[in-house]
Amino acid sequence: MSPQSKRWGEAGARSLDSYKPLAGVADELVDASGSVRPVWRKFIDHFQRLPADEITLRFARGDQYLRDAGVYFRQYGKAGSAERDWPLSHIPVLIHENEWKQISEGLVQRAELLESVVADLYGPNRLVAEGHLPPSLIGMSKEWLRPLVGVHPRSGHYLSFIAFEIGRGPDGNWWVLGDRTQAPSGAGFALENRIATARVFSEFYPAANVYRLAGFFQTFRDALRGLRGSTEDQVAILTPGLWNDTYFEHAYIARYLGLMLLEGEDLTVEKGRVMVRTVAGLAPVSVLWSRLDASYADPLELDERSRLGTPGIVDAIRRANLTMVNALGSGVLETRALLAFLPRIQALKGEPLKLSNIATWWCGQETEREHVRANIKRMMVGPALSTRPPFEPDGRTVLGGRFEQETLQTVDSYLDTDGAMLVGQEAVTLSTTPAFVNGELVPRPMSIRVFLARTSNGWQVMPGGYARIGRTEDATAIAMQRGGSVADVWVVSDFPVEAVTMLPPDGATYRRSESGVLPSRAADNLYWLGRYVERAEDIMRLLRAYHMRLAETANSNAPLLRLLEDHLQTFDVLDMEECVPESLRATIASAIHSASQVRDRFSIDGWSALNDLAKTARQMVDTARPGDDAARAMSVLLRKITGFSGLVHENMYRSVGWRFLSMGRSLERALTMTSALEKFLDSKAPEGALDLAVEIGDSSMTHRSRYAVASNRKTVIDLLALDAQNPRSVLYHLAELREHAEQLATVLAKHQLSVFSHTVRVAHADLAAGSPETLDSAGLQTLGQSIETLSDVLSSEYLT
Amino acid sequence: MIYDIDLKISYDYDQPANAGRHLLRLKPATLAGEQSVVSMVLNIEPEAEERVDKSDFFGNEAVEIAYRSPHKKIVFDLKCRVDRHAPDRGVIVSPDLPRLGGEVAAINTLAPDSPHHFLGRSPRVRPAPEMDAYTEVVVREGMTAFKLVQALAEALHRDMKFDPKATTVDTSPEEAFAGRHGVCQDFAHIMIACLRGAGVPAGYVSGFLRTIPPKGKQRLSGADAMHAWVRAWCGAEAGWVEYDPTNNLLVADDHIVIARGRDYSDVSPVKGVLRTAGSQVTKQSVDVIPLG
Repeated sequence: MSPQSKRWGEAGARSLDSYKPLAGVADELVDASGSVRPVWRKFIDHFQRLPADEITLRFARGDQYLRDAGVYFRQYGKAGSAERDWPLSHIPVLIHENEWKQISEGLVQRAELLESVVADLYGPNRLVAEGHLPPSLIGMSKEWLRPLVGVHPRSGHYLSFIAFEIGRGPDGNWWVLGDRTQAPSGAGFALENRIATARVFSEFYPAANVYRLAGFFQTFRDALRGLRGSTEDQVAILTPGLWNDTYFEHAYIARYLGLMLLEGEDLTVEKGRVMVRTVAGLAPVSVLWSRLDASYADPLELDERSRLGTPGIVDAIRRANLTMVNALGSGVLETRALLAFLPRIQALKGEPLKLSNIATWWCGQETEREHVRANIKRMMVGPALSTRPPFEPDGRTVLGGRFEQETLQTVDSYLDTDGAMLVGQEAVTLSTTPAFVNGELVPRPMSIRVFLARTSNGWQVMPGGYARIGRTEDATAIAMQRGGSVADVWVVSDFPVEAVTMLPPDGATYRRSESGVLPSRAADNLYWLGRYVERAEDIMRLLRAYHMRLAETANSNAPLLRLLEDHLQTFDVLDMEECVPESLRATIASAIHSASQVRDRFSIDGWSALNDLAKTARQMVDTARPGDDAARAMSVLLRKITGFSGLVHENMYRSVGWRFLSMGRSLERALTMTSALEKFLDSKAPEGALDLAVEIGDSSMTHRSRYAVASNRKTVIDLLALDAQNPRSVLYHLAELREHAEQLATVLAKHQLSVFSHTVRVAHADLAAGSPETLDSAGLQTLGQSIETLSDVLSSEYLT
Repeated sequence: MIYDIDLKISYDYDQPANAGRHLLRLKPATLAGEQSVVSMVLNIEPEAEERVDKSDFFGNEAVEIAYRSPHKKIVFDLKCRVDRHAPDRGVIVSPDLPRLGGEVAAINTLAPDSPHHFLGRSPRVRPAPEMDAYTEVVVREGMTAFKLVQALAEALHRDMKFDPKATTVDTSPEEAFAGRHGVCQDFAHIMIACLRGAGVPAGYVSGFLRTIPPKGKQRLSGADAMHAWVRAWCGAEAGWVEYDPTNNLLVADDHIVIARGRDYSDVSPVKGVLRTAGSQVTKQSVDVIPLG
């Protein structure tokens, strides 16, 4: 037996022979002598015993979870933005709780330091006056927001949720690489990484004594609620919206914590109070967890070009009616050059930093500039005002005495001309951690983002984090920018840990408090989602009817086919040669767009079903042929879309949001049915048009069983317009709308009569009193107009 | 000099605006030893649902108003009497550029008048190599900060064409400079960029200018305009000096100050987002009548 196999484990386990950490670099898995660190032993033993195909299977299981959950990575490139698979490195980073405790103590100390610095920068400005911070640095920062100077946060604190980027140096000590104080992202992704990684190691994880993350979020949610002015007030997450690269995370956290997800346009300010536009009118908001860059928050007092903000929000803060987490302007703490001054400012408190930050020199000072010049070989020189961590360089960067990009200037003259705008930072080397590449574990550099939340018991550190793993073995921090992956962080105890979930202790399911807090924009999106899905289904039925008849007659000039073609034009289907027309795909895309803006209130299954529908439709574009083939293709799409509708109908909680989705569906169905009847029951319509109407109304079987006669105008109108029991009839859907309208008026406590409710009741009564005789061509036209009116009334009452 | 000033700004919308929030910086400033406001009325039609007076970081007076009901037109009408008594600056003593840097660095404050606010990029004025190159031609060995202010104003007055049709309120300094044309806003922004590039802290002043009609002609009613010029920090002794590049002169009693900031975005007369789709038409008229 070789000494290696003795060390690595028992029979059946793969060896770790190929795992060779780099010289001069600390490694998480093995110590300097090459022994596996104790905290990793059980895990590595478990992992090395897994057969290769089992590993592949398990990793695929984790990836599948992420895809199903809709976790993706938005990448911006020359060709716009694209969604990429989430790059999970399935091997977690393991850290023992004793070490984590030390890290936590250091980070809590740093959080307190940052709070005192930001309070000074927006308050008395003593650090500048006493020479501990250069005024020019603060004066030049675009994150130091002058309108907030002198504004004291109503919670008493500037910082409530922050993150630190940390890494381990060659000597084994942890370093702070950067401070994230504006709107740190990644906490939600850390949760998703945890769920996926726990699935990959589903047998091992439950007994691995890994600290759970849920308690951290639960405590922070309670802390946010505690910041409200009154219990009637709302707490919400403010997002820049769908096109932001971390929007998924905003929606995910909102859903996870049961908070509203809002955009700037959802809000308005009235007499210094921030209000959200909801379907029940304006509702006060007194706490916003903002994921928006602060300068965009208010176009009136901050960046005037912002279209993401809410005019007047700064005034609401000034009047102490709103708590922003974090306070607007806290981003100034992210300024890279501050790292040069923070250690000394901490020392003023009589206690040095417990966790050092990466050594930094601001080149606006002569001594420091000369130090950087003399030691340029082991420096990274970059913009002093940058707010990004060192491994996300922006602007011109000098590494090891050379420019990263081609330039004519020498480094020496760059330091002379641009000194005040530059910092030198020690070019740190990060520790490595195992990643599974090409069938074996290899060392890869990593850094960890750690999250801290302020609670009623002071700062809490999330026991875990968001690890970034380098793509190559190059362990210099700067190499991290070039691709790479992310990993879960396990804080491991020697003893079993307490399991915490978001469920309250009595076992009842946590539910978002309902009734009236549905933002109008969310209601609007749900309503249109209902309409688009219904419209797509209608187009599919029409296309299927067309291609079935085409297959029978092989003559696209047959009168009935011409009629269908004509009717399809009202849905922008212009080219019948195109079997999966552009307008159908566009309608599905519109449904997805609406759904994507209400991801926080929408089930993962429903989302997957919609995307699956779009994907299938896309694939059919190239394959479907006119006639029988296209008819079958439409049947496949119809099954998929009714699958979605079924999910919504069966599984969605009967919330106010569900009512808007259902109203969209009913309104669209009533409308399309009315217009189909108008077309197919026209006295000039060719023979077979009546049966066509019944078929499109999906009521052929019902017609046969209800009427002993062959279809005639009277039976068709009776069944598809006036039959209160037929879920395809216009009357049925007006009854549905009436029911929703009444329920809404009750739930939303509309004391005076709701205009929508009244209008829909009149429309329903009119139709219920109708007969096949009154519903002639003109009668149908009037009916169609009255349904259109319903949509307008609904919009003006609830959706704007 | 005492002036009666009448300013009218009106907005007409194609479609009624449902709501709106605006920040107005229209009132002449009260400046100890420089300017006092004798009387002032700001009338706003239609009357706003909210109206609050406030002052901003730089000490400018602002009025925040909000509408919650539909309106097709807004008219701001300011009538005021102002006593302008700009102090006689005498001989302005300022250090040369290298020494100016040292004097800036010695200022340990971020109070509103601190030069540190006026050196870096600001929302509308960013570092511009082409303007730095222009400044380099103007600057002379050993030139003082104030001499540079004068020389730049003179150069810009000579090289730039005053052309109200060439630029809009949103034209960038780079664009206006490339065309060597524009209005007072462009002249001021360009000069600020040039000064900051040379290490001289520089800011933007909005206000009114008394226009003197050509000999033998009557002053035309409503023909005056709002105006803008530059302030530069010329060392610890001289402090802030105001200069008008559009007219190439040191600011004195003909200039009435409204607000001071880093650039136009800090002092724009009417700010605000309108929730409307229709296009809007702005009309502006200004009368600055000297009473002696």
